[in-house]
Order: sequence, then structure tokens, then C-alpha cells
Amino acid sequence: MQNVIPDQHAFPPELCAKPLSLVGISGLDTRNNATHKSIWDVFGNTKTDVSGLNYKLIDNAYEFPVVKPKRNSYEWYIPKGILKKNWMEKHLNKIPAVMVIFYDLDWNDPQWNEKMIECASRVQSIRVALEGRNTKLSVVLIQNHSVNPGDDDSHQTERVNALCTSCELNPNSLFVLPHGDHLQGYATRLAGAFNDLAQNYYHTEIRNVKSHREHLQKQTHQYLFVRHQFKMGFLSELKQDLHGAHKHYTHAYNNLLEIRIVDTNAMEIRTVAGFINYKLCRLMFSLNLPRDAISQFKAHTERFKTRYGFQELSFEHHAWMALQNQVFGDIFDEAVKLGLPAVQTQHPGLYYQQAVHHATLRKKACEDLCKGSNVYPLPDPLEGIATMDFYGQRPWRPGKMTSDPPDPQVEWNGIKALQFLENQVNHSIIIITLYGLAVAQFKTYRCPRTRRFLVVQMADEYYNSGDYGKALTLFSHMLWDYRSECWWSLLSHILYKALQCAFLTARIDDYVIFTLELLGSKSTLPKSQKLQIFENLNSVFRKQCPEAIVILPEIKKSRVLWKNLLGEAPQTYKLEMNNIVSCLDCKVRFQEEKYQVDGLVIIEILVRNSSDFQITLLGISISLENYVKNTEICVETTTNQDFCFAAGQVKRFIIEYKPNPADINKELEISSVHLYLGHMQNPLFDLQFNGLGNDIKSIPMELVHFRNCESIDFDNIKALLKCSVVPRHSKLAMHFEHAKPALVGEWYKIRINLADSRDYQVNNLIFEISLQDDDVSDTTEFKQMSLDNELEKLPIKVSLGDISPSDQCVTVLYMRAFTTGERNLQVNVSFNLHNDDLIPSSMEEFIHVSVVKPFDFSTKILTTHFEELIKHYVDETFVIMPIINCLSPWPLVIENTELDYHDNVHNEDVSISSQLIGCEVSNGETASEIYMANTSKVSDSPILIGNYTIHWKRANGESTITKIPINGLIVDFIPLDLSVSLPAYGLVRTPLLVEYQLKNKSHHLIQLDVSVEGSEAFMFAGHKQFQTTILPGDRRKLKYNLYPLIAGSVSLPRLVLSVPENSTDGPSLRQEHLNSLLHRSLPTHIYVMPQMKGQPELTNVIKRCEMINLN
Amino acid sequence: MAICVAIIGKDNSPKYFACSNPDDEINLQYKVLSSLDVIEEKLNTANKVTDFRELFLGTLYSLESHKIYGYVTNTKIKFIIVVDSTNTALRDNEIRSMFRKIHSIYADNICNPFHIPGEPITSKSFHDKATSIMFGTV
Repeated sequence: MQNVIPDQHAFPPELCAKPLSLVGISGLDTRNNATHKSIWDVFGNTKTDVSGLNYKLIDNAYEFPVVKPKRNSYEWYIPKGILKKNWMEKHLNKIPAVMVIFYDLDWNDPQWNEKMIECASRVQSIRVALEGRNTKLSVVLIQNHSVNPGDDDSHQTERVNALCTSCELNPNSLFVLPHGDHLQGYATRLAGAFNDLAQNYYHTEIRNVKSHREHLQKQTHQYLFVRHQFKMGFLSELKQDLHGAHKHYTHAYNNLLEIRIVDTNAMEIRTVAGFINYKLCRLMFSLNLPRDAISQFKAHTERFKTRYGFQELSFEHHAWMALQNQVFGDIFDEAVKLGLPAVQTQHPGLYYQQAVHHATLRKKACEDLCKGSNVYPLPDPLEGIATMDFYGQRPWRPGKMTSDPPDPQVEWNGIKALQFLENQVNHSIIIITLYGLAVAQFKTYRCPRTRRFLVVQMADEYYNSGDYGKALTLFSHMLWDYRSECWWSLLSHILYKALQCAFLTARIDDYVIFTLELLGSKSTLPKSQKLQIFENLNSVFRKQCPEAIVILPEIKKSRVLWKNLLGEAPQTYKLEMNNIVSCLDCKVRFQEEKYQVDGLVIIEILVRNSSDFQITLLGISISLENYVKNTEICVETTTNQDFCFAAGQVKRFIIEYKPNPADINKELEISSVHLYLGHMQNPLFDLQFNGLGNDIKSIPMELVHFRNCESIDFDNIKALLKCSVVPRHSKLAMHFEHAKPALVGEWYKIRINLADSRDYQVNNLIFEISLQDDDVSDTTEFKQMSLDNELEKLPIKVSLGDISPSDQCVTVLYMRAFTTGERNLQVNVSFNLHNDDLIPSSMEEFIHVSVVKPFDFSTKILTTHFEELIKHYVDETFVIMPIINCLSPWPLVIENTELDYHDNVHNEDVSISSQLIGCEVSNGETASEIYMANTSKVSDSPILIGNYTIHWKRANGESTITKIPINGLIVDFIPLDLSVSLPAYGLVRTPLLVEYQLKNKSHHLIQLDVSVEGSEAFMFAGHKQFQTTILPGDRRKLKYNLYPLIAGSVSLPRLVLSVPENSTDGPSLRQEHLNSLLHRSLPTHIYVMPQMKGQPELTNVIKRCEMINLN
Repeated sequence: MAICVAIIGKDNSPKYFACSNPDDEINLQYKVLSSLDVIEEKLNTANKVTDFRELFLGTLYSLESHKIYGYVTNTKIKFIIVVDSTNTALRDNEIRSMFRKIHSIYADNICNPFHIPGEPITSKSFHDKATSIMFGTV
């Protein structure tokens, strides 16, 4: 016997519906009349939230609820319950606040009178049907012709009046709906009018209810206080007056609390309290008072938390508590969706969580109380539960006042029936649903850990309900996070449950993984349990069904599953061990980061068994990945004992791998490590590790050293999963012979020697030489082997071919740099070593050469007296003095120098030959020579004298030519030329002849005052002062006999030339020109030797006669 | 007295856990772990504004059965105390002073050269001191 009863704990739909003013609509034939249909569609589709109206189509057959007779006195009235079940429904959906009668009638309808009467009769019939109600009536005329306002106004007014009178209608309640374009707009306006009428109606109703209050007495009518306030609240809601509703509901709630609770009415009060609380909280959220709502709810649950009612029915209490929390969570969530901000510490999830808590208590209570209730009592004590008058009353005791003593037998039957029904409920589904709601909320409010906890609890519930598959899935999803935060005891707790799930669902791979993790050192399982699961693991390996850890009825089923599974053909299970802190751990590393291709790559595998038991592996292998393929390499052992790990033991295995020449410059990577467990014929478990070790959050390396360590320090070994293969590093010795630094411009010789201690022939030896910096490549030239060869382009490849072991190998490279600075040469040597195979090898070396200047070069331009010259003068001889200042650390040999004169500059030497040939200069020394030249042309800018070429080399070096241009000075012209002929030395008291020669180079006459100043060292004969005139192109000689008086370097008598004051000649010859001419042309001193013994020979003395002639 | 004292490292892994009733330990661990959500949120949002010298975070969770308090050191070590909701003797001030005591014995403990930073605390004397703080006998 299964009575279909509504879940008595759920809220009735009329309570949860949003109360809207009910507007009845009649006169619309929606089925046959298209116009009516469109009108109804417009009204019916209006958003109820906006209008606050609920339209209901009422046809002629509709029966309104019967009006109860009015009660004049409450004196003898004893209420049988608090809230009537039908009341809310009645006001929500049955009694309209406004009754609207639609009628097709145009103002100028030809059959106006007849139609008016029909309309009136319709109104009348509805009025009769609503006899005793305060429902407002309203008439809407559907008109096809829109009326112009000015059109026959009086006629219209008259008809309005007539219609109102015949319908007995207030003209305010008569509306016109022109059926045309703007139906929606008219409908909205009509809705506003209906709303006013509805408000009016509900207002009257509230006042009606209020008027009952004065008749009530505190003692007997406690229920009515609640009922009336509730009704007022509900009507206010219908009226859309939320504040009023809040006030009345609050009163109702407070009145309810005043009622004494006894066993018989506990259920009813609790139910009604729940209803009112629901209404209150919902209203407060709508009124944007979330804090008030929360505190109201908290006070509510606090108050009713301990009101269990019948002990035998305590599950009802828990169900109610769960419902309260769940519903509060719902309305909170609804408010959040409408924009209420919630925070991490106050959000709907908390209430769902609380609901879960109570649902769990309900389940427990049910398990305790309803164990034996397998029989439904007869007669059915719950008969008529659906038709009860009041909310929250017992069907076997309807309408009884608390004072009546209950019949124990009936009570007992009722309880039995409820317990029976409770036993049918699937609590797990309820709990899991609530968990689902809570989990979603906690996820939204950033509580990942709380969410995880809830999921674990949810999985627990699945487990309890026997859905082990789902429980297993949830558990295994949660494991990772607990593992990553190192909550080992929680992890072990979950794993242990998951292990049971895996057992019950015969998931062999999960079963083995969980077991391996539980056996690990981090697991907090007691040793006895570890032993048990270890033995179970071994049974699986032996193809036997493992023993159950917990006795459950499903064991038999799972035994069958295991049997089938293990009976199948042998299978290999691949188990991904990367994120698992299992009892078998493994680290793998290349011993070096780089391996040469001819050597062996050595891979070290460390395997640790951190369990308390001995574990034997079947094999160990690694997957080695190079750029193309994956190779699996197994560890080879001599005995089986090598793979046997005692408790806590670490073992090291070595794999040697010979790299392929194709692997050169590629990476080798260990993609996974495989440990094989199980039996060869039986299920084989391939445990795949990534080889990094499973210390997920290992403490820093430096600190690990403080730990106690085993013989092999597993923790401190850093895994290395990648290595690169490089070409064999050459054992050749490369020597560079060169004398640093290089000098600018020279061919710098670099000798590259390959000396070798090798045993094999070398094939295809290639040097490749390149400059490291590109920016100096323009100023650097290379030649190889000999200077007669062509210039080489970079990179220079020198192929030396095959060389047998005994050969010496030399190559010479010449480099010439035109600027100073560093030159870094890279020399790559590659060759194939002719061993058993051809092994490509290479080596790389660098040559650093700094380039410096070999010498500094400067020039001096001098007068014939070796004084600095400022200007050249046309046809005046000057001296060029190139100076070479050696800067090179190596001595330089100057092989030759040449000076090639430019045009306009003429050699004055008898023969040109270098004075520096074969000269060797060391660092800091200077070499210089002189050349005499003159120039024939005036120039305002400095002239180019010529190019100076130096042929130089370092001792045993290559000869180098450096060309340097020599720049002169500006060239000026003066018309006068002065020269002097003077013997190299004089002798005391021996006359010597000085001959000054003045030459006019111009085409003008030159007049000069000539005088000779006296000198203490000389007596002289000749003109002391006179004026002279020199014709163009003519010369004038002045001769003097000097008679030296003292020996030594004595100053000569000074010749003074000056332009006469009355000179007719122009400014072409000025005094300063004359002075500078005198200064540069005439010596100021002469050496005078002591008197010779005997009679000196006077060759160059002016003869007496000539002197006379002059005069 | 409190019913549980826990120390959580900066990586959110448990460093020390003690509770008065060993049967309830798993459940309390779940609760303490859940309360880390609140601590994390508080540290992420509030810390910039509030005084960083204030290490006490106040109530993290106030459940029907338990109240959970938190305290975070400058190095992000979290101390958590769980108190029975019915216990009204312990106010914020008492809790605060308990936290200070725990902080000081924690600091003493990690000064021990034999303690490896980041490893769970296994020192017996620390345990004795911590439990006496928990039971309020200090």
C-alpha cells in the first residue's frame, strides 16, 4: 500500500508563488474570435513582474467560491487550526480582485440598444455570481472604429451614461479599447487602471480582516491572531504593498511564538512558523534588507532547533530544519542572482551546507527509528491527508484542540505510518542533491578547500548509498589537492575509502594505485591495515580475489567481478604514477649534461621502496626519446635478487647507452621510467614514473641535507631527464704561433700547428676560420699559406684532407688589419676520426690578436737654418723633415724611404736618396731625415708637398709599405730675394769675405736703404750705410770684409734693410716682409776659430782694387 | 579550553596538529583545512589596508558546533584554534593571548638547530607546551 501523498515537508506551491493581484477577464472568446484572441495574448503575455497583475480568463461556466456566512460574534468560536489550506489558493487564483467584462460595442453601433442591454445583462450575471464579494467590476468596450475626440461628443457622453446606468457601473470603471495598432500601449494603460481597482479591493479586504480583531480574545483565539495577521500580510502582498506585508507577517510570527507548544500542535506550529519565516525572509531580501533576513532566519532556526516534537518522529524535525535551510539558501541565491552581493563568509552555500547537516541527521534518525517499520498500519491513519483543512495537522487528529487528550492507539498507528513512509524515502538522493547545491555555491565564493571537503562528503554519501562507482570517481578527483597540500592523514583517509570503492567495483588499476600509495611512508594508516592491504595486493598478483576490508552486502557481487576480471586473458595494466606519492619511488638522471658521441651515455636509476614490506619487481626499464623515436631500454641484472627491495631500501641501477652519430647536437630525454610489478603470466602492472621523484613539495635542497639519509641519498639526488649529445671533443692539440701584437698594415703571420697524440687516422680535416665581430671584417684581410696567394674571404675554409697518425699538420694564415683594435678569430676544426667507425669530431679555439700602430709619423717644415717655418715663399728653399717614432714593441727595420714630390714642389737636393736605409728603431726611438725643396707657386691654402713612402718590416717579418702624405704650408711671394755666401768658419785676425746678394724678382724697381750695424767681434770693411736701387730682374751684390777679433760662436754684424720713407714703390714690399726675409735668410752667428799658425791664405778676400772701384 | 590547535605552513601543509579528542581528528582536520579558504581570502584582500602588525584574524568560521579562529605570522605561517561553540569562557582576548603563546613556542621551536624548516613539528616538548595551551593549563 503506497499512498501517494505530497511530500509533507515541502512548501506548498501557493506559498512559494509570488502573490499577484488576480484580475478576472470574461467576455473574450479566445477560441473563435481572432480579435479576442489577440487581446488576450497581449494581456496574458504582459510581464507579471511589471504589472503585478495575474490575468485569469473566466468563462460563463466558472464557479466562484461560495461566500461563507458572516460571523457576527467570535464568542463561541474555537478555531481548529492556524492556517486553512485552501485560503491562499483561493485568493491567489479563484477570487479576482477585479472582474473585467469585455464587450464588442462601438459608439455608433446600429444595434446599440440591443447590445447595451446584452452587455448589462452580462454584467448583472457576473455581479450575481460574485454576490457577497467586494470584487470590483469593470467593463471594457472593444471598438473597431477609433473615435475622434471632437466627433459628436454629446452623443457619445449620452451613450456612456446610458450604458453605465444600465450596467449599474461607475463611469470610472468603463473603458474603451480601440482594437487597432497600439494594442500593447492600450493594454498597459488598462493594466494601470485595473491595478488601481485591485489595490482598492485588497485594501478593503485587509480592513475587513482587521475589523475582526476587536472580537477576538487572547485566551481562546491565539490561532486567529496568527491567522488574521497572516491573511493581512498575504493580502498586502497581493496588493504589492511589501512594507505592509512585512509588518503583518512580523506580527503573525510574533503571535505564533506566543502559542504554547505541546506535542499535539508542535507539527502545526512548526509548519506555520516555517511558512511565515519563509515569507518574511523573502520579503526582506526583496526590500533589500539581507542582514535582517539573515538574522531573522538565524533566530528562527535557533528557536526551533530544539523543538523536536515526538521523539519517535524526530526525523520530521530534521527534515523540517533541512528544508528551512535549503529554502533560505534558495531565496538567498535568488536575491544574489538579482544583484545582491554575497561574501565568502555569508553566502547561500553555508545554508545548503547546514541543510545537508540536517538531512544527514534525518537519515540517521530514520535509521534509528524506522528500522522495524515494514508494515503499514491498517486502517490507514493518514487517510485524507490531501484534503486536510489546515496546514501541519495530523490526519488522524484533524482539528482537535490541544486540550483534547489524544487517543494513544491512534497516535501510535499514525506514528507507525509516518515511520513506514519515512523508511521509503531515499535520503541519499536528498543529501547528495543538497551537497551539489552547496558545492556549486562554495565554488562561486572562492572556497576551494571547503568545496573539496563537501565533495568528499558527497562521495561518502554515494558510498553509503551503494553507488561505489560515482564515489570512486569523486574520491579520485579530490586526491590530488590533498596530496599537493600534504595533508597526509586526510589523504590516507580518502584513499582508504577509495580503495574500498575500487575493491567493490573491481577496478583493478585503481585498486593497485591506491594500495601502492597507502603503503607509502606518508600514509598514516596503522601498520595492521597496511599489512592487510599489502597481502591483498599480493593476492591480486597471484590472481586471487583480494579480501574485503569492510564487510558489506555487496561483497559477493564484487567477488564475482574480480573472478571474471582475473580469469580473463593476462593483461598489462598501465598505471600512471606521476602525481602519486606511492611507496615505490624512482628518480633517474643522466650522470652528465653532455655526452660526447663516442662515449657511453650513463643513466642512473634510483628506486626506493618506502613501504614496510618487501617488494619484488619484475623489471625496470626506461623510455629514452631522441628527436625521432622512443627506445625502451631495460635494466639487465644477473640475479632476481637485484629487483627485490627490502623495506625502506634504495637501489641504484645503471643503464649504458651508446649514442648514435645521428644524435649529435640533439637532446636525449627520458620520457618515462617503468617499473613492472606482478607476475609474468598474471596481470602485469606497468608503473610509469616521470623519473623526477614524487616529492611534490620538497623542501629546499640545502635543507634536505639535514635529514637522516640512507646509504644512497635518494632525497638529495637531483633528477636529470635531459642530456645532449655533442661531437667527440678532439684530443688534438692546436697551437697558434704568432707574435702579438699585430701591427697596422703588416701581414701578420699566424702559424697553426696540430700536434697530436692520437692513434687513429684522421679523415677530412677542415679548418674553418672566421672573425667573431662583423664590424671589423671590412678592415681586415686574410691570406693563407703564402703572401702570393689571393685574398681570402671569410670564413676561410682550409681543407687538409686525410692525415695519418704520424703527420704533423701546419697551416699558415696571414692577417692584415688596417685599424687598431682587437681581432678575435674563431678556429673550428672538424674531422672524422677513423676508428672502427667514422666518428665526427670537432674542436673549437679562439685566437685573440690585438692590432697596434707600428709607429707614429710626423713632419717638420724648416728654413735652411732649421728654424720653424710659418709660410713658404716662392723660390725660397725649405727643409722637409719626416720623423718616424717607433711604437711597436718589436724593433722595426726601415728598409727604404722615398719622397715623391707633388707638382709645384721641386727638389733642391743634388740627388735624392734615403738617409734611413737599413736603420733599425726600437720602441721609443725616432728616425728622421731631411729633404730640401722649394715651391714655385703662390697658394692661399696649405700645399701638398708629396707622398712619403716607408718600406719597413719587423726583424724576420714581411716587408710592409706605408704611404703617408706630407702636407706643407701656404705659399707667399715677396719681390726681393736675399742670399748670402759666407765661409763655414772664420779665423781670428784673418779677414773673411761676406757677400750678400739681393735680387729683384718683380717687374718693379726696388729701392732700399741698406745699413750694417757694427759688432764688437768684428771689424769690417764695406759700405756701412747707403741707399740702393735694384732694377727689375737685376741683382745687387754687397761684399764685406770681416775681420774677426775674438774666437767662438760670435754674432755677425747685422744687415738691416729698410724701405726708404720717400719710396715711390707701392706696398709690395713692406718692412715686416723685409725683416722676416732677413731673419730667415741670414745667419746670425758664425764660428770663429783661433788664429792659425803661419800666414793664412786669404782666398776669398775682396781685393783692394775692387774696394777702390766701388768708391 | 580549545579543542584543537593547528599550525599550517606557508605552503598550506599541516605542520602541527593537536586536538583534545583523537577520534574527532579527521573531521577537525577537514574543518581546519576548509578554514584556510577564509584565511587566504583575508590575506589577499584585507592585508593591504589593515595594519600588518595585527596577526590575529579573528573568527574564520562560526559553525553550529565549532568556532574557528585564525592567526597568521608575517612569514605566512597560520595558527588555527578551534573552540567549541558552547564554550563562552573564551573571548577574543583569551584566544588572542593563546595565539601569542603558540607563536612564541613556535618561534622557540624553529630556533632549534635540529628542526628542519618546512618539516612537520615532531618535538615532544613542543607538543607538551602546545597541548597545555590548548587545555588552558598555562
